[in-house]
Amino acid sequence: MSKIVILGAGISGHVAAAHLRRKLSKEHEVLVVSPNSNYQWIPSNIWVGIGRMKSDQILFPLPPLYKKKNINFKQALVTTFHPEGDAETESAFVKIKYVNGQQKGNTENVTYDYLINATGPKLAFDMTEGLNPGTNKAYSVCTYSHAEHAWHALDDLIQQMKQGKKAKILIGTGHAKSTCQGAAFEYILNVEQELRRHNVRDQAEVIWIANEYQLGDFGMDGVLLSYGDNIMKSSEMVEMIFEDRGIKWILGAGVNKIEDGIAHYETLDGEYKSETYDFAMLIPAFSGHGFKAFDKNNEDITEKLFKGFMLVDADYTPKPYEEWSVQDWPETYQNPSYNNIFAPGIAFAPPHAISKPRVSKNGTSISPAPPRTGMPSGITAKLVADNIIDIINGKKDLHHKGSLGNMGAACIASAGYGMTKGSGVSITTYPIVPDYNKYPNTQGRKLGKTFGEIGLAGHWLKFALHYAFIYKAKMKPFWWLIPE
Amino acid sequence: MTQRISKSKRFFMMNPIIQFFKFIWLSIKIMLVVAGGHGGTRKANS
Repeated sequence: MSKIVILGAGISGHVAAAHLRRKLSKEHEVLVVSPNSNYQWIPSNIWVGIGRMKSDQILFPLPPLYKKKNINFKQALVTTFHPEGDAETESAFVKIKYVNGQQKGNTENVTYDYLINATGPKLAFDMTEGLNPGTNKAYSVCTYSHAEHAWHALDDLIQQMKQGKKAKILIGTGHAKSTCQGAAFEYILNVEQELRRHNVRDQAEVIWIANEYQLGDFGMDGVLLSYGDNIMKSSEMVEMIFEDRGIKWILGAGVNKIEDGIAHYETLDGEYKSETYDFAMLIPAFSGHGFKAFDKNNEDITEKLFKGFMLVDADYTPKPYEEWSVQDWPETYQNPSYNNIFAPGIAFAPPHAISKPRVSKNGTSISPAPPRTGMPSGITAKLVADNIIDIINGKKDLHHKGSLGNMGAACIASAGYGMTKGSGVSITTYPIVPDYNKYPNTQGRKLGKTFGEIGLAGHWLKFALHYAFIYKAKMKPFWWLIPE
Repeated sequence: MTQRISKSKRFFMMNPIIQFFKFIWLSIKIMLVVAGGHGGTRKANS
């Protein structure tokens, strides 16, 4: 009998738990530890942030589902890792702290045979002075509660605009090293459409601010894609959309301080500038959770497990951009020091960025961190689950592999909500990390599999995926037939 | 605001009948890309 402990119940953790439970016999224990008892379909936060969906449409409580499916659940957060046990406990364990119910505040040592760290990122608002969702007129859509809050503020502003107020709306990245430009891109297009729907578009100046060097970088160094009969750069596609919608942009901006209605930022030219706004949605930097790890003698071994995020089978040798290789990226998400620990999804430490790193004249690094999206999170979680099942069944090698350099991803970016008036920008990229050796003439991507589409179908597709993935997450009949 | 998308292109983008077929085509194409498999990079390139 094996005990598999999964830390986190987001896309990655939940996918791993669901597949392990489906494929392993009941003698094996699957335990999920998460401080949040709800599963949320994060890609639909955008629609909560414009008031077109309610939170309860994008989330559901996990404990009843887990009880029904024989998955154990503890609503707690992990505090420390002990992969060798300690003087009192021979087995590897994690120390957890309950966050709810009668046990709130209590700690417990949870032993494991296999550990899946799917804790995702810490939303590091504190890395930008004054950036705290709901203060200084700046908001976030990173969680459903943030998105609800953002909608209330935006709705207030729209009502004021209906009374004649002129407003400036600033959307993008809130730190020089933020990622998730895609979410901000979706949000700015949705907000712009909502302003038109409320007949106040003419009174608003809508501005994109980002740490990207070019539009459409998305933390992937941009993509060369096929669009209809044309081949174009993602920068050209996004520029076309922004110009058509009257959205202005500020690029190469490292936002470093937020005051009430003012965003201060540094440019790659080394200038310090500021932009005023009436409403802002700025994506924070992502960071690791600052976990500590200890060996059997209680010595600190954090560096064996973490480099911000968790260390896995990547090549972390520091090297210049020109020497970055697709082979640097992990394939199995297994920790090199402890082979029963895995970190799929967003929890693993990337070997380096994907976008070309750029530094301002003042020495500030201003460029996107690697994107962390749901589709690769699900795929990597499933392959980790499959490898653990193989090990339990006696196989020695890890047969299931999934490098971001050999994996496709679809970014179905909502560009406006509505069954007849909606729109979506669908960008499919293969591979996610460019392979310049394999595809030297197409900027590291395979053109037939890297394409873009704009139109109503994109909205329908995102809408369909919303329901399909919530169906899958609820583990309803034949859920496993829906791919990650 | 600069018109960068022509009227005919916009009609194509927003026409529900055309877009219904585009939806089917997109669903299949995305399924092929995403569910079409994944793997490592090291062995294949060594």
